[in-house]
Amino acid sequence: MSVRISLDGVDKAFTNRRTGERQQIFRDFSLTLAPDELVAVVGGSGTGKTTLMHLIAGLERPDAGTVSTGGGRPRLGMVFQQPRLLDWTSVETNVRLAATAAGVDAAEVAPILAAVGLTEYARSYPSVLSGGQRQRVAVARAFVVRPEVLLLDEPFSALDELTARRLRLLLQQLWLRTPRTGLLVTHNALEAAFLADRVVVLGGRPAEVVREYRIDRPRPRSPEDPELFDVHRRIVAALT
Amino acid sequence: MTVTHPVVAEEVALGGGRSPAPPGRPPAADVVGRLTRPLPALLLVGLLAAGWQLMADASGSALIPGLGDVARNLVDIAASGALWDNVRVTLTRVALGFAAAFVVSVAAGIAMGRSEWLRRFLEPAVLIGLATPGLVKALLCVIWFGVSLLNPILTVALAAAPALTINVAQGVRSVDPALGEMAHVYRLDALTRLRYVWLPAIVPDLFTGARLGIAMAWKVIVLVEIFGLADGVGYQLNLEFSQHNVAGVLAWTVAFALVMAAIEYGLLQTLERRAVRWRRVALR
Ligand SMILES: Nc1ncnc2c1ncn2[C@@H]1O[C@H](COP(=O)(O)OP(=O)(O)O)[C@@H](O)[C@H]1O
Ligand SMILES: [Mg+2]
Repeated sequence: MSVRISLDGVDKAFTNRRTGERQQIFRDFSLTLAPDELVAVVGGSGTGKTTLMHLIAGLERPDAGTVSTGGGRPRLGMVFQQPRLLDWTSVETNVRLAATAAGVDAAEVAPILAAVGLTEYARSYPSVLSGGQRQRVAVARAFVVRPEVLLLDEPFSALDELTARRLRLLLQQLWLRTPRTGLLVTHNALEAAFLADRVVVLGGRPAEVVREYRIDRPRPRSPEDPELFDVHRRIVAALT
Repeated sequence: MTVTHPVVAEEVALGGGRSPAPPGRPPAADVVGRLTRPLPALLLVGLLAAGWQLMADASGSALIPGLGDVARNLVDIAASGALWDNVRVTLTRVALGFAAAFVVSVAAGIAMGRSEWLRRFLEPAVLIGLATPGLVKALLCVIWFGVSLLNPILTVALAAAPALTINVAQGVRSVDPALGEMAHVYRLDALTRLRYVWLPAIVPDLFTGARLGIAMAWKVIVLVEIFGLADGVGYQLNLEFSQHNVAGVLAWTVAFALVMAAIEYGLLQTLERRAVRWRRVALR
């Protein structure tokens, strides 16, 4: 099932716990993700990218306006900025619990762990893994549930470049096989250009869409595609 | 949905063979370490015993019997079967009372940890429970429930529950809300959350609470048995006391201490080591 996500006239403010100051993160903010569209969001830190993702995931409620995810509650695959693993149970169980809750057969856990290169660690506690390996567990958990909506909050920024590159290819493959609606937050403009159908540059307070780039290159794309570098240059220009 | 799974391992093979060998199971138990671990505690016991004997020899008073006297009394009560009979009776009362306190405290603690309103509502009761001397609880239960089995169970439960509840609540409050969000996003059901998110996170506080609770339980069970019951270690202590047999009082005290040590070292520490094994693996 393809899911359309739309935020309409969303207001969202936080009260800073230390200063008591009210921060208006979004005011009358609207954004639509077409069914099966992968949108990348780039922007400075503290702009509201994670808040946007939490609004879509239902982890935050808007003060005003509406967030709609196609009427129902779509199956989510989410990679948080931190891996958010259960440290007291094995890597395999971490992934399996999400799979089982989503009605996915436990037999599908092993292939996913293989895909993120963690087969040997399936029975280890997450606490023995490096930061990058932990994040790969989180990626496996997000992919295993056959998500209708995939929300990725800087999923590859803690990884070494080689692993990040392979996971980007894996993500592209996921879209080639089964497109789904997705939001990718990243600091990496080239990553955004490589993966997304559309790149949204978020900036200001309250946050607004400063610029948008539609990227019509057909998939599979190559990370070395010169045209993507061109988009990358323009995104960086918009950011600075 | 009938889509085939999109991720196929072979197509984007990651890291095969590059990763270092994963850490296996913890290495076979270090026998020397295991044997030497109790040495400091045994040394202390030996020193205390030697000091006691010196004091007994120096005073020559019947009020401070020597180790030999105490040991003879211990052998006597063990040989007559009185030791085991009474320890079993007392242990059963403590176990039943503690089990009751555990069920109530875990429920109350989780409620207090999750709801600010319930915390404010229940906290005074817990604090009063903590502050009330065990003697008062024991006396009231003896007055109200007399010699029934309910009396010792209720007293033990009343003694153990406050410390246990406060620690469970503390543990629940310290659970990372980020994990709750993860559980929500992946729609883990209530049982899975309890088993995999809540309980493991509160294990350290649960053990702290259990230790305090059991310590309180020992103190009151002896009182209840002295005042209101006709058997158990407390009753026997009082019996020896009324016969002016100081060595007998000490023999029961030693027996009692041995049982407590067996529970701490044999049961609690073993359970705790298993429950927090993941932490030790992490430190390697
Ligand atoms: N739960 C919260 N309570 C208070 N302030 C928050 C909360 N979540 C986010 N904020 C604030 O909102 C702003 C945007 O945060 P975030 O969405 O995490 O930014 P980004 O992901 O773009 O770096 C930051 O200033 C942050 O401090
Ligand atoms: Mg963020």
